[in-house]
Amino acid sequence: MREGVYTNRASQTRKLSSFRSLLFALVVRDLKGKYRRSALGIWWALIQPLVLMLLFTMLRGFVNIPSEGIPYVLFSYSALVPWTFFTAALSSCGPSIIDNAEVIKKIALPREVFPLAGVTACLFDLGMSSVILAGMMAWYRVSVGWALLWLPLLVLLVAAVAFATGMLLAGLGTFRKDFIFAVPFLAQAWLFVSPVIYPMSSVPDQWRSLYMLNPMVGIIEGFRNVLLKASGPPLEPLGISVAVTAILLLIAWPIFRRLSAYFADVL
Amino acid sequence: MPHEVVIMVEGLWKQYGFPTPRLVRDLSRVLRGRRGDDERDEPWALREIHLEVKRGETVGIVGRNGAGKSTLLKILAGVSAPTKGRVEVKGRIFPMIELNAGLHMELTGRENIRLLGVIMGFSRKEIEAKMPDIEEFTELGDWLDRPVRTYSTGMLARLGFGVAVNVESDVILIDETFAVGDLKFSNKSLARIKEMRESGATVLLVSHSLDTLQFVAQRGILLETGRMVAQGSALEAINAYERLVFRSERERLQHKVRSRISSGEALIHGARIVDLAGNTVTEIHAGDPFGVEVDLELNRKLERPLFSLGILNAAGILCKWNISEEDGYNPNDLADRFLLTAWIRNNSLASGAYEVHFAVRDASSFETLERLAGVASFAVLGDRRSRGVIGGPCVWEARPRDSIRDDHEPRPEAPPGSA
Repeated sequence: MREGVYTNRASQTRKLSSFRSLLFALVVRDLKGKYRRSALGIWWALIQPLVLMLLFTMLRGFVNIPSEGIPYVLFSYSALVPWTFFTAALSSCGPSIIDNAEVIKKIALPREVFPLAGVTACLFDLGMSSVILAGMMAWYRVSVGWALLWLPLLVLLVAAVAFATGMLLAGLGTFRKDFIFAVPFLAQAWLFVSPVIYPMSSVPDQWRSLYMLNPMVGIIEGFRNVLLKASGPPLEPLGISVAVTAILLLIAWPIFRRLSAYFADVL
Repeated sequence: MPHEVVIMVEGLWKQYGFPTPRLVRDLSRVLRGRRGDDERDEPWALREIHLEVKRGETVGIVGRNGAGKSTLLKILAGVSAPTKGRVEVKGRIFPMIELNAGLHMELTGRENIRLLGVIMGFSRKEIEAKMPDIEEFTELGDWLDRPVRTYSTGMLARLGFGVAVNVESDVILIDETFAVGDLKFSNKSLARIKEMRESGATVLLVSHSLDTLQFVAQRGILLETGRMVAQGSALEAINAYERLVFRSERERLQHKVRSRISSGEALIHGARIVDLAGNTVTEIHAGDPFGVEVDLELNRKLERPLFSLGILNAAGILCKWNISEEDGYNPNDLADRFLLTAWIRNNSLASGAYEVHFAVRDASSFETLERLAGVASFAVLGDRRSRGVIGGPCVWEARPRDSIRDDHEPRPEAPPGSA
């Protein structure tokens, strides 16, 4: 059967600029809507990584976790900041299509903008928790250097992993809710196969290459190197991470595009 | 370019849901042992639609619930993908498909206007420039700075409508938005749509309010179970729609005796609607005389039999009620089984579906012997645009003001209280 074709000549010209202002407006909406009517407001952005850090520090009191000579509080918090951003982005991407059903059912716009807005809005929380991280680093007198220039790339990479995974789950989840229910489990499981609580060096050598297929490995290790060791990210895990992220995007995006034409039918 | 085609639909078919990939379809067919049949389980929401709309035209879409009206608008809006066929739209589309949903309940009206504008693809500058017009049009006043979760449904609709009619679009798709707001607001909206049309915008609207449609739309199309069954002028489409509705309404009413009070002394065997030649009819042209013929049996000789006839429209309003005695019909020799016909020579019923109630009474004791609601049903079809319970023309006349010499109106020059 021949597929149906829809064309609208007009919107082509100003597509890019309107996509940007659309993204901006959605991010502003998400942020404003999120914290209005909440007592703690933006402080929520700080509470989550702080609580996790305290829990992990407590856990370290019971079992022996190496931290490569870095104070464990700092060791775990430096990884938790990007990690919290990752899980927050992932879990705001997942339901982003269903949450915006009212708009999607009525107005034609590039559907990618909703998961993308979800990820972008989480950057704000990342900024907030980074302030605390900077304070802690100053307290422990961590010396930093030019390696900090790697940060934007690393943040972009986390965002890309979250966007690709979240977009795929959001697209599939619109048709089968199971994919959205799976998001918290996925995030939890992912935490244990990423060097957040423990350093990558404690992973046995024979598993190392398999372990590094997880794109978050190179990213988290990268954050730690850049922030705490004043050195560049480990190149092998980072290279793998970039490649895997690119593959993820190349798989997720076309699937999402294909599915998105039928979102309005099932919402 | 006034005659440029802005909407072109060619052989459009639509089936809801994600189309099953061919491989999966073939596999499941092999597994189930069926073959040949290419149809999926979901019904077609639209079948073989062809439509061309030129710049500046206003097209009304009519049809019953589930006929595919909203689906067509959704596909034109680019929200839902066509399953088969080709759809081309030129220009900026503004779909007003229940925009009252509100974009974010925690944000204020003003913030929602900005967001809606951006979502529709307008720049912030364009929106800010239009803000005073939108504020004035929506008449929301201070409410604009309150969160929309505190709004009523009507206010939400005004918000969406206010944005829609105040930004320039080439194609406007409207779905049932007129139903909201008070009369003043909907009149204002209608006027605005006319203005937009005059400035070259193309409007497609779906509405159940036929009055609105016939005054706003120039062209009309009628959809029925996904097919385009009629198109032409707005009036033609509306008439075709009414015929469709009345016919199905009549079928529903037909032979469905709704309540019966019977003493057994009189028996109604049946009834039919007849034209002057005595043929059974189910549809009467507006203004044509007709008769209600009742097959009646009396088991007791009545001194003063009294028959009454009621005609009710589809809304259950009694449009006509007659008693035989008052009409000067006083038979005294009726017995056994006979056919009784009540002729309605001055048929002033408006277009619509009707049902007939019939009762037999004994006038001396005023005892009801037999009463049957819904004994027959019929439809009146007309091609006039007038509405209401009573049809038929008026005689219109205009006279110059000077010639009026009426006494009940005080003359403007007379001082008050001097009379």
